[in-house]
Amino acid sequence: MRRLLTSTEGRLTIVLVIVCAILALASDQFLTLANFSNLLAASAVNLIFAVGLVVVLIAGGIDISFAVAASVVQYLTVFALQAVGGGNWAFGFFFAGIIGIGLGAINAALIYYFRIISIVVTIATFNAFFGLLMFFTGGKYIYDLPDWWTHRIVFFEVKTPSGWAELTLPGAVMIVAALATWVLINRTTTGRQLYAYGDNPEGARREGISVGAMTFIAFCWMGMMAGIAGLMQVNFVKEVVPNALLGRELDVLAAVVLGGARLGGGRGSVLGCVLGVLLVAIIQNGLNLLGVSPYAFKMVVGAFILFAISTSNISFRNLLGGAAGGRRA
Amino acid sequence: MFKRFAAPLLGAAVIAASLATAAVAQDKPTMGVVVKIGGIPWFNAMEVGIKEQGDAMGMDAFMVGPTSADPALQVRAIEDLIAKGVDVIGVVPNDANAIEPVLEKARAAGIKVVTHESPAQKNVDWNFEMASSKGFGEAHAKMLAEAMGGKGSYAVYVGSLTVPLHNEWADYAIAYLKDNYPDMKLIGDRYGVAESVDDSRKTALDLIAANPDLTGFLAFGSQGPIGIGRALEETRKVGEIAVYGPFSPGQGRQLVKEGAISGGFMWNPMEAGRVFVRVGDMLVKGEAITDGTTIEGLGEVHPDGTNIIVDALIPINKDTVDGLADLGL
Repeated sequence: MRRLLTSTEGRLTIVLVIVCAILALASDQFLTLANFSNLLAASAVNLIFAVGLVVVLIAGGIDISFAVAASVVQYLTVFALQAVGGGNWAFGFFFAGIIGIGLGAINAALIYYFRIISIVVTIATFNAFFGLLMFFTGGKYIYDLPDWWTHRIVFFEVKTPSGWAELTLPGAVMIVAALATWVLINRTTTGRQLYAYGDNPEGARREGISVGAMTFIAFCWMGMMAGIAGLMQVNFVKEVVPNALLGRELDVLAAVVLGGARLGGGRGSVLGCVLGVLLVAIIQNGLNLLGVSPYAFKMVVGAFILFAISTSNISFRNLLGGAAGGRRA
Repeated sequence: MFKRFAAPLLGAAVIAASLATAAVAQDKPTMGVVVKIGGIPWFNAMEVGIKEQGDAMGMDAFMVGPTSADPALQVRAIEDLIAKGVDVIGVVPNDANAIEPVLEKARAAGIKVVTHESPAQKNVDWNFEMASSKGFGEAHAKMLAEAMGGKGSYAVYVGSLTVPLHNEWADYAIAYLKDNYPDMKLIGDRYGVAESVDDSRKTALDLIAANPDLTGFLAFGSQGPIGIGRALEETRKVGEIAVYGPFSPGQGRQLVKEGAISGGFMWNPMEAGRVFVRVGDMLVKGEAITDGTTIEGLGEVHPDGTNIIVDALIPINKDTVDGLADLGL
């Protein structure tokens, strides 16, 4: 109980439960399997980005370029697939992953070898990636994509009174991406080193942790997730558009920070990412279900983010009564 | 020291001087058209029209497309054109008010100004519309009402809540339905999502879940019908819900054939590009446009103030979509 109230993830869970309870009472469509599957699908791409970004934040960096990098990956993957004559999902994941890792490695190399702070590097690569993309593609949309890429893959579907509930490929990939990231940061030595490095870079360096390795692992993981998110976004929208993901970086960054990742490094979790992305998605979903005027959307979303963040400064122990509060030394 | 720099400097001066004489020697009239955003199919088609007509009329006509639909970028692009000393500036404004001061500056410099899709524009010589707001909004509303049998709920999308033209179309469409089909109910207000496939799709999923009697969508904004069509595929509602709105035929071709998009109207952006150059040419030559003047592509015009408004609508449906898509639209 105490851990639930003192950790950011715990507090966010409480806020999320309150929001869900209100929505469930206000709309009989909210607490249905169909709506849950809809929420999952709507959050898939953002959550894949988020679990990549949280690794960078844990290692004390920041990445602004990943959403644009995902667009670059989409275009390059289209060309790579044409070169191999169409390909299949295995080729798709391979190319998107490799190209994503490559773009992440560019960021990492600039940060590590030229000793520039990550926000400056990634703002620069954000512009460079997008500029190069617009220049070389002339901004052309691509609709003529391989069939396997745009075909919906449904792992599980069930017809409910409120519509179809289903688990599609992007949802499944999102789950795998979240689990893989969880294993990386919680169950491996590398993960513990990432936390240590993000928390205290100089101390970690003296302990013998390789600064270069940490930088490359964090940004290449982000790059790989960006590539996979780009691949999944195409599966949803069935077209490749150069500026489709532009601006997504701030939504994802807000959700990840909301989920407890610290911009200074050393803190962040996969659970926090899930909660942060879900909170924003659920508020948006709830506003639509309740028929709230769209003119008020941004205002309400902003208010909820502020509310969720400020709960971390409220002392729940005092609210719960003197017994718990009295023990404070 | 001086000698080391003198030679290249002298060389540069010679080159600059020869460039300047080249610019003077070229007495072809020049026209730059600043559009909302570069690289999307709509404005790619417009660019073709501008170039072809420019070549045909002996005018150096070109298009400038900002990387995002940002009024500030348009202002900068227009300032660049003023500095360049073009004879005519054409604009498809993102925000009519934001570009007013810079257009004033252009006209003070003796440059003629033509706008498109901006009926309330000040500081212009001519603004032309290939569809009146009333005609365009009502044409879509009529189709929707027929498809829905004059009853049930419908939702309206616009590109963004601040795009004046989309909102005007929506105003006329909603007013028409209210007056003529009292049994049709509008859901929520209007949703400002139709410039993004992702957002249009997510909002459609939410609205379909929340409103079982929803049987129609009007989407004013080129990505809106596409996103809604995708959502209908996912919810297995193709054929049960009517979707009308303007969109790019190449992008929506498959969805129209499947019935996920019912149809819509458009005007031909390539023709709009040609009209830009024709009107620009008339301004340069000092030809007056009065009641009854015939302009190719617009027909016989009846100017109202600085506005030239005609209804040159082309229906997009199962029969016409292939032909339009083959034009590159």
